[in-house]
Amino acid sequence: MGRVMAEDAFEALVGAHHAEIRRYLLRVTARASDADDLSQETFLRAFRAYRALPAGANVRAWLFTIATNLGRNHFRGQSRRRRAYAAAAWESRREAPERADGQVLADEARARVERVIGGLPEKQRLAFIMRKMHELDYAEIGTSLRCSAESARANVFQALRKIRRELDGHLPTGTEPEP
Amino acid sequence: MSRQPAGCREIEPHLLAVATGEAEAVATERVEDHVAACRACRAELHHYRALEGMVRSLRGVPLHGDDATLARAELASRLADLRSRMVGFGIFASSLGPVLIGRSEQGVALVQYLPAGGSLTAHVRRLLGEDAVEDRAATEDLRVELQEYLEGRRARLDWPLDLRRTRSDFQRRVLEATAALPYGAVTSYAGIAARIGAPTAVRPVAQALRWNPLPIVIPCHRVIGSTGALTGYAGKRVELKQRLLAVEGVKTVTVPHDFRVPREAMYTLMDGDREYCVPTCGSLSTTPLSKLTLFGTRERAEAAGLAPCATCRPDLHPLPA
Repeated sequence: MGRVMAEDAFEALVGAHHAEIRRYLLRVTARASDADDLSQETFLRAFRAYRALPAGANVRAWLFTIATNLGRNHFRGQSRRRRAYAAAAWESRREAPERADGQVLADEARARVERVIGGLPEKQRLAFIMRKMHELDYAEIGTSLRCSAESARANVFQALRKIRRELDGHLPTGTEPEP
Repeated sequence: MSRQPAGCREIEPHLLAVATGEAEAVATERVEDHVAACRACRAELHHYRALEGMVRSLRGVPLHGDDATLARAELASRLADLRSRMVGFGIFASSLGPVLIGRSEQGVALVQYLPAGGSLTAHVRRLLGEDAVEDRAATEDLRVELQEYLEGRRARLDWPLDLRRTRSDFQRRVLEATAALPYGAVTSYAGIAARIGAPTAVRPVAQALRWNPLPIVIPCHRVIGSTGALTGYAGKRVELKQRLLAVEGVKTVTVPHDFRVPREAMYTLMDGDREYCVPTCGSLSTTPLSKLTLFGTRERAEAAGLAPCATCRPDLHPLPA
């Protein structure tokens, strides 16, 4: 009986988190087939470990930790990493639909941001995606990346600085507010 | 960067925090004071805010390949497969030392004697692989029944079994024939070989029982050598076999490095008969053990559905206790 209930709870967990974890891995790997494989592996691992999870554990952050570990293993080796970056650049070009001029500019800037994110060092990139795309807090990100919350925050800020530099001249200008 | 005044360098992390909405009140105030006086940092703050807005807008933008439907369906089928393979196990202290009981969706998949002391984790991993998770709650009912069994308060373990860990069809037939041995009875390896229609396969039968995934539940301890010697159990732990037999009322005598079931002190059933005898009835004392099943007590023979022999009348002339 206990087992059946645990399995129903796991079904609910898959329903609640699978799409988000896959989307996270899609950003991380930039390939739908890798996101499919790694998201499935995340949940298979989670299922094996699920019964040992303490009651009241932060399930979402735990899943991000598993997915992050799998993502990092996936990228062990620079050549794969570079291929993923190339794929990211290619996919963001491919995605840009035809729009009005102003929209095209905004889309271009967004595509540029995506490319810069794709080229960030791994830890900064993962920290940035977890923080900015999935709104995990720094403690959760630190757990995923096996570092302190402070270090997770430093990685996100470092990513922001790089993106800011790369986008110099491409950010919306407008009038700067006077004091 | 290096030409930036020290005040600006120092305020920069706080400026990022303000732009991303993470700054505390004191830091916010400092940044506001600073940018009121510093045009360059004001521009930076403006840029970071614009960047933050753009990054936020990325959250909802569909990604190429963002459809999770197929992956979700495939996950469901892989989970179902994993579920059917997965074994939840518990490790319990018992009168025979630590015992592991593993249960899958299909039934009890594994019973194992574990080495006393030392780290069990590595041992269990080797035994079960990664599709095993500790789950004492799922095996607690089995533990209770096993304990009752070992204390002689229960004669049957009517557990659904998962026999997928058997190594061959031959082994499965050996295990099924062994499972049919009644409580409190013994026969020989050759007896099992005869029962599965492979009378010359005595050593393969012994090997098949050596790898019994479910000792106690599939009572390989009731299978002994043709001389009555217990011959082996759980590696070199033949004393466990002797104790399991003792629980069931089967007497043994000690011989060098082993125990022996004394045929002359056992009620005896000739294969195919429905009546049990004293061991001296007719030609029983010269019949090979492979054609016999021995019972420690009359109660056990009768519990197995047998009647006393009308010739030797074990009910009127029981063996000395």
